[in-house]
Amino acid sequence: MNQPVIQTSNLNFSFNGSGKTLDGVSLSVPQGSIYGFLGPNGAGKTTTLRLLLGLLRLQEGSIEVFGKNFLQHRIDILKRIGSLIEQPSLYAHLTARENLEIYRLIYKCHKQRINEVLHIVGLENTGKKKAKQFSLGMKQRLSIAIALLNEPELLILDEPTNGLDPNGIIEARELIKKLNKEHNTTVLVSSHILNEMERMATHVGIIHKGKMLFQGTLNELQQMKSGKASLEIETSDNLKSVQLLQQKFGAQQQDGKIILPFRDKAQSAVVNKLLVENDIDVYALHPQRNDLEQLFVDITSYS
Amino acid sequence: MSFIVSVQAESIKVKRSLAFWLSILGAGFIPVIFLLMYYFRSDVFVLKLAKDPWRNHILHGWQALSAFLLPMFIILTCSLVTQIEFKNNTWKQVYSSPQTIADIFFSKLFVIHCMILFCFLLFNIFLLGSGLLTNFLNRKYSFFSSPVDWEILLRMNFKSYISILGISAIQYWLSLRLKNFIASIGIGLALLITALIIMDWEQIYKVPYAFPLLTFDAIFKKRHLLIENHEWNSILYFLAFTLLAFFDTKFRKERG
Repeated sequence: MNQPVIQTSNLNFSFNGSGKTLDGVSLSVPQGSIYGFLGPNGAGKTTTLRLLLGLLRLQEGSIEVFGKNFLQHRIDILKRIGSLIEQPSLYAHLTARENLEIYRLIYKCHKQRINEVLHIVGLENTGKKKAKQFSLGMKQRLSIAIALLNEPELLILDEPTNGLDPNGIIEARELIKKLNKEHNTTVLVSSHILNEMERMATHVGIIHKGKMLFQGTLNELQQMKSGKASLEIETSDNLKSVQLLQQKFGAQQQDGKIILPFRDKAQSAVVNKLLVENDIDVYALHPQRNDLEQLFVDITSYS
Repeated sequence: MSFIVSVQAESIKVKRSLAFWLSILGAGFIPVIFLLMYYFRSDVFVLKLAKDPWRNHILHGWQALSAFLLPMFIILTCSLVTQIEFKNNTWKQVYSSPQTIADIFFSKLFVIHCMILFCFLLFNIFLLGSGLLTNFLNRKYSFFSSPVDWEILLRMNFKSYISILGISAIQYWLSLRLKNFIASIGIGLALLITALIIMDWEQIYKVPYAFPLLTFDAIFKKRHLLIENHEWNSILYFLAFTLLAFFDTKFRKERG
């Protein structure tokens, strides 16, 4: 992969000075990737995406899209992006075609393109029906059609499957994959559902409480995910303890502590008993979950 | 060029919108009331309109419009046009499309003024139509036999349009600023009523919400200045508040 399509460095953002919504976010979206931007609700996903589209004024850090500074080349960059932020943005009193016509004019696409995008999202036959009469799924699809009008090189989708039924979710996922494969469209898609991302993303970024906790390929993520939690023990005689625990529990000495893979609570009790029986004082004994793992629990528990 | 494209896009949005129906309704209201009055109380109005029927009809029509309905129409139109974006949650899509802030801002203002002029045009047509229809229904009226007073009609239109410029810019700014349209309409209405209450104040020519009525008054009293003092003020208010609103929009921290 060559130069990233989106490169932010050290984005900091706070709303009205009330705590940091974003804390040093450096996002790097490689060209041709489907980048899953993951995080629980309120982690800062939408804030990041809104900054990327210029909907929020940049406070600290910098944003480069297509290798250009966003603030200096806003119009040129936006011409090459399709976006869908939060709920559908549609004019309820207008038909699907009229909604598309507004943006067709702005993006200066040819008239035929409206038929094409309606076909892509399967909304060719809505006729004179107004957008307000659409189901949520249809609204979402029409919003995706708007995002596709200008044949964007980069699609920014914020929770595009929110409110869709299971079928709609699968369709949206297939559509994203197809665009990526056939048109080499780079897709930045946010979600709070880990499963969903695992089924389509090539790259993943995980944000939590405004901080990027992880960024890399899906493979790297999966490797990391399989890394187990550990049990940390402090004792009066670490050397003896390690000898005692090595065989059965795979214990190692590290930074003056003993670390062994954590299985369950019962294991802690067994370990403790064993040490005490061998006249070793146990000062501390606590299971360590790595942040990422806890975060996965948070993320997946919403789904 | 990009401005024209933005205007085209904006004009699709007002199609069949509440703002659009309001211009038709606003323009038709007074002529219809007049028609009913003339028809059912011909005993009174045949005499009243015996001399200069068109001039009287036109002046009465504008009198009814200028004090309250016209400024109210401006207040509502500014709010309804901007509400199209707020209500549908579409500001974010507008601002993330490749348009300059200036194009977005001025194309909307331009469309609001097109709606206002559209309403003026319809009002004139309905006003003339109600005169003709009155005569058609009751031959005792003399609309058919008298010439239309085009001069007064044009003067009323031209000067009234200038008189609402100030209000339109203030209301546009409020409507962009305040997400809740009740707030912008409420403030506008309060200012309008205040202006009508203090109409006798010697400084009233500085209060924009009084300008349409002042313009009517000037024409009614046959003052013949091309542009009255308060109308100059209206233009100044328009320029000042348009610039204020534009820079406020441009440097806003959060859009859409």
